[in-house]
Amino acid sequence: MKIITFNQKKTSTIGLEFDELIPDEIFQWEEKDFQKYEIPIGNSRFPLKDYFDVDVVGSAESPSDVKIILNGDLTRIKYIGTKMSTGEIVANSSVDLHCGSEMSGGEITVNGNAESYAGREMTGGILTIKGNTREFCGASYIGDWRGMSGGTIMIHGSAGKQLGECLTGGEIYVKGNCDILAGIHMTKGFIQIDGDVTRWPGGQMQGGNIIINGKLSRLLEGFVDPEIITNPEIEGKQITGKYIKYVGDIARNGKGNLYLDADKNRNFL
Amino acid sequence: MVYEEPITDYDYKVENCTCAFCGCNCDDLVYLVKGGEVKGELKDGVVVSGYVDGGHVVGCRHACRLGASKVMEDMDQRLLVPMIRDEKGNLVETDWDTALDKAAQLIAHAVRPVFYGWSETSIETMHYGLELGELVGAVLDNQATICHGPSLQAVQNAGYPVMTLGETKNRADMVVYTGNNAMNSHPRHLARYSTFPRGYFRKRGRFDRTLVTMDPRYTDTAKMSDIWVGFEQNGDYEFYNAMRAVLRGKKLEKDIISGIPKEDIEDLVESMKQAQFGALFFGLGLTHTLSKQRNIDIAINLIQDLNKFTKWNLIPMRGHFNVNGFNIFMALEQGFPYGVDFARGYPRYMNGETNTIDLLTREEPDVFMVIAADPGAHFPSGANRHLANIPVIQIDIHWGPSTELADIVLPGSFIAVEAAGTSYRMDGVPIYMKKAVSKPKNTRDDEWIVNELLKRVQKIKGIKPEVASK
Repeated sequence: MKIITFNQKKTSTIGLEFDELIPDEIFQWEEKDFQKYEIPIGNSRFPLKDYFDVDVVGSAESPSDVKIILNGDLTRIKYIGTKMSTGEIVANSSVDLHCGSEMSGGEITVNGNAESYAGREMTGGILTIKGNTREFCGASYIGDWRGMSGGTIMIHGSAGKQLGECLTGGEIYVKGNCDILAGIHMTKGFIQIDGDVTRWPGGQMQGGNIIINGKLSRLLEGFVDPEIITNPEIEGKQITGKYIKYVGDIARNGKGNLYLDADKNRNFL
Repeated sequence: MVYEEPITDYDYKVENCTCAFCGCNCDDLVYLVKGGEVKGELKDGVVVSGYVDGGHVVGCRHACRLGASKVMEDMDQRLLVPMIRDEKGNLVETDWDTALDKAAQLIAHAVRPVFYGWSETSIETMHYGLELGELVGAVLDNQATICHGPSLQAVQNAGYPVMTLGETKNRADMVVYTGNNAMNSHPRHLARYSTFPRGYFRKRGRFDRTLVTMDPRYTDTAKMSDIWVGFEQNGDYEFYNAMRAVLRGKKLEKDIISGIPKEDIEDLVESMKQAQFGALFFGLGLTHTLSKQRNIDIAINLIQDLNKFTKWNLIPMRGHFNVNGFNIFMALEQGFPYGVDFARGYPRYMNGETNTIDLLTREEPDVFMVIAADPGAHFPSGANRHLANIPVIQIDIHWGPSTELADIVLPGSFIAVEAAGTSYRMDGVPIYMKKAVSKPKNTRDDEWIVNELLKRVQKIKGIKPEVASK
């Protein structure tokens, strides 16, 4: 196992782009390689050593043997773990945009908040965010109908707008609350929100499952055929509790399932 | 209303001019010019070709009040000479070479330059701006970032069932305005294109058309409409979703949806299905309420659904006369409509990351060039606060709040009055805007200024050693 630790020396108002520093690319790098490396900042590249002290301990035969630890203020570090396929990254702070976007494997843990587009278009792996995240978590790139298609996103805090937009697979768990239009345009996949949801989950969804264990403020007209079910089994998972199950969004001929906690959403009955 | 006497004190008329105010790009204006000498052909007091050198536009026929007030002379606010802010913080007049050299130095050495604006200048100017942006790795963005950006995102998602305004005039028997108040923002839109004109298939004009306004507010446009649908604020998405559900044959369950009785929604959908040619015009009321681009997305999908029954199209009500032009130009050249970032040497586009407001509030840009726009007047305070802390280069014709933030001021010329150029109307039709009068003596065309900056930056970077012009 090779452990690469980045200890921040200096911050930048312009975002540092970390997309080249993933286990797949740097598993054979030694400290001298990091000393030489220049990181993209704006339209230029600057020496990484000006911003981070890098310690390398151990060796790695393959990218899966690499663990990257990021320490310091990471709120201007973008693209952490972008396109990674294996290995592990631990960010010990809040992180900037695109954390874990397009990742296909491996594991990322963010011990703080994540900015927008966390887990965008991810196809595999595990992204854990211990704090909150903002808009378009697990979403698609602008204009694409295919968002996250595999892997797992676990959010311990709350999520912003359009969580799991165009979801085509994978699982998203939110322990906190969620803003509008969770699972909009989703075709497959699984979203579970334990907190409250503001408005319109599943807008124009065509398939997949959304479970809301908190209170929903407004439901779209496109969700029909409500029925009460207890302890449903959804995508092989045994869910405990009493739910109102809807099918929708029929405004798009959708056949997705939306489950609302029956006790907390009695107003819909 | 105050009656104004018709303007009779003029020497020449310049016909078929194009208005450089809103996205209607009305190209039937007549400028009344006083003084000067005709450089071209004059026939019966009408300038047939060429322009009036040294003349002043004193009147403007056919234009709405908004267009006329912009075209008419306002020299008291005009930027006439290049200026640089001195150490005491005052803007002092300078010569063109000094101002351009300083601007070129700033641009050439910037790490995160942003070139914002472009919507009130010509496509020809954007051409040089794009070349400059690619050269220095800048972000190029326009006013869509604060207006119809969500529409462009939705178009990328859901398609663009667009028509021309000419089709609307000749064919539309049902016209819907949603989230905009055209009577105030685009005053000639109803009169020239959508509602009042007599078209080939709509011989009786207004009497042959049904006008619908969907807007939470009872606007001036709503007052003129046959039907006003006053759904609740931020209720757009739910309202359109209900309309789509009705189109698919669903019986609505709730009695009231987004503040509208379900019977009214069902009646409205039935009316829309019965139309022969429907035209939907949407504005910022739709793009900037709660669901943002998803409002437009579902509106486009509604139009697609309606096309299973009859013919429907839509057009976004673009604000500036060439805001659509920048988006079309950039999409053609780079594949992305706005907020295009060349920092890594290739174009990237990501909302929330490469848009001007986001960049400024994150305090990323270190040089900001604003051309034909006024961020000082329109941007949120957090964004303007950063503008006050970094070098700002302004290319514009008028003194405005952005001038107070600018460190270098480069006075440009007025497209469609003092300079010719191409613009794109809100429906995507390109229109060549001709020159009517000469520009003030010490100002330069936008196209020349940006080209000159490009050449000077190229010289600094050692790409092309020569500076082509003085």
